[in-house]
Amino acid sequence: MDDFWERSKAPGFTPVPRVKPEESPGTPLEKAPDPELGHGIIDPRRYFSREFMQLEWQRMWTKVWLLGGREVDIPEAGDYLVTEIGPESILIVRQRDGSVRAFYNVCQHRGNRIRGCGIGTTGESLSFKCPYHHWEYELDGSYRRIPDIDTFPQGKPAHALTEIRCDTWGGFVWYTLNESPPPLLEYLEPLPRHLEPYNMHKMVQTRDITVEWDCNWKTSVDAFNETYHVQGIHPQLLWYLHDLDVQIDCYGRHNRYLIPFATLSPRVRKPPSIPEPIKTIMKAAGMDPADYDKPIGEIRRDVQRHKRAYGASQGKDYSRLNDDQLTDDFHYLIFPNLSLNVHADDFWIFRQRPHPLDPDRMFYDIMTFELVPDGKEWPERAEHKRWKHGDKTIGLVLDQDAENLPGVQAGMHSKGFKGLWIGAQELRIRHFHKVLDDYVYGPQGKPAGAL
Amino acid sequence: MDLGLRGKKAIVTGATKGIGRAIVELFAVEGVDIALCSRTAEEVESTVRALKQRGVNVVGEAVNVREGEAYKAWLERSAQALGGCDIFVPNVSAGGGFDSEKNWTRNFEIDVMHTVRGCETLLPHLEKSGSGSIVIISSTNALETFGVPQAFNAMKAALITYSKQLAQHVGKKGVRVNSVSPGPIFFEGGAWELIKGTMPKLFDYALKQIPCGRMGTPEEVARVVAFVASPAGSLITGSNIVADNGFTKRVQF
Repeated sequence: MDDFWERSKAPGFTPVPRVKPEESPGTPLEKAPDPELGHGIIDPRRYFSREFMQLEWQRMWTKVWLLGGREVDIPEAGDYLVTEIGPESILIVRQRDGSVRAFYNVCQHRGNRIRGCGIGTTGESLSFKCPYHHWEYELDGSYRRIPDIDTFPQGKPAHALTEIRCDTWGGFVWYTLNESPPPLLEYLEPLPRHLEPYNMHKMVQTRDITVEWDCNWKTSVDAFNETYHVQGIHPQLLWYLHDLDVQIDCYGRHNRYLIPFATLSPRVRKPPSIPEPIKTIMKAAGMDPADYDKPIGEIRRDVQRHKRAYGASQGKDYSRLNDDQLTDDFHYLIFPNLSLNVHADDFWIFRQRPHPLDPDRMFYDIMTFELVPDGKEWPERAEHKRWKHGDKTIGLVLDQDAENLPGVQAGMHSKGFKGLWIGAQELRIRHFHKVLDDYVYGPQGKPAGAL
Repeated sequence: MDLGLRGKKAIVTGATKGIGRAIVELFAVEGVDIALCSRTAEEVESTVRALKQRGVNVVGEAVNVREGEAYKAWLERSAQALGGCDIFVPNVSAGGGFDSEKNWTRNFEIDVMHTVRGCETLLPHLEKSGSGSIVIISSTNALETFGVPQAFNAMKAALITYSKQLAQHVGKKGVRVNSVSPGPIFFEGGAWELIKGTMPKLFDYALKQIPCGRMGTPEEVARVVAFVASPAGSLITGSNIVADNGFTKRVQF
């Protein structure tokens, strides 16, 4: 395959037509100025040092806002979900007044986990009974009943379940272990304005999978933050997306890139027929690829026009989305660990969680959501599934990433590897590590020689 | 062996890429004047320019062969421009597809009807040639089941039957008609490159069916077409010539 820079000079390399920022009804499209982050290497020890893992826990994981789960999964008083982050397990509970509160999921008696990971309901009891000795808690974390309380001369503990901050936005419950956090909306800035035009509340969860991956959580974050790897790891996507005309925007903590879908990469030659992956996009929009007689380069715009024209009749409200959002991948990183592939008809959220003990392992959560057209019955949400690296397929594209990452992780340990050599297409990786450093090393900056 | 092509006049459809391009390249080398078309004007222009360097007369236009009247008018113009027509190679195909009923319309209108309209329009010219020859491009997908029950396979089969009957019909007027059925042909920008990129399992499966483990090249098909089309192939008419590197498994008695 020819070198890209050769191709970019060729007539075949044309920038993708894009909606002008002033024409976007909701999500901002302005290119954010690229931050000056230098050209230094990123120390590979950040990906496996236990010392750095500890710093991350103390100074970052316990300070940031994290995604807990979805509000629609806990609609009634007593409904709850348990989510884990590093060594901690968090119990998020729908209250009698409809609000949501969150607690460390630990019984104050002997430290047992009160509930296992997942979604559940207390049922009519509206209480949590620890399975070990049946210490029982109210939905607000206070004590309801301790069996044989008269055998505790000291009485019950003065403190009940330890509450943590939680809040809701976008139909999701967020929590933080930070005792004096910034408000959630302030933390998420400027992304709420970007994401609100999507119909997140009209989407049903279609996949809920956790896979234990054999790599550091940041090795995985990095893999979703650049399109440079598409040519190597996902060659089939070169007939599906434009991996080079990608707009990168770095904000305060978070960043995004905008990847044109339903178009060809300039790295490949124009094929004689419409590639199957692009046909899939056309069919999902209600178009018939067999009835399409125009050049492949026009499909992206025609899909946008088609969805604009027929969306309403299909029960899909695109009124607050611009045309590019009808085809393209608007890909957000919500620091530190959420990759959001945001589309008009679906949302894919990939969440990276650190292993509690081992920097060479992590948990990769796949949460996908699909728009339920108006007038259609709300389907059952997908059940949660969990397995280990490579045990089962998670779809071709993610399998390709998954297969590659243990090798990357192993290479980080090599004496022969000096550090990550980051290019302009990978600016989001540099930005992510800068934000991580801001947490780990604070406003005085990274000391010389630090990881 | 001299194929006797020098000075002949050939009309080839879909000739800016792949098999069609290789055919006109070889014709140009052999001294054949050429009229060609494809959908894209720039590609037609660059192909015409390249072929002219061989010192032959070359004309070309952007034509959508699906639009019957415009296509027939182009064929007439081309025969006039060349001063006749000795060889006709209808090569355009809509390709595979299993999306909807429209695939059938599409392959019928493009693969079948562009061939039929082309033959009917050019026969008066081919009859005057004295060595008139039509080479229809079919596919091994017409001969053995492969992939899905798609329109492409059935329409390519229709072309072989049409080719045989037409050969009987026009033989007395000195025009030969044959079809060539290539197996998987790999080239940059071709269907098999796309399959290799987007459906690697299907690609590997197809490759395993070929005893020597190699798909054909457009140039290899072009050499078969050139021979069949040329006066050197004077004994061959009503035949379907399979050029597939052993891809098909049937016995051809």
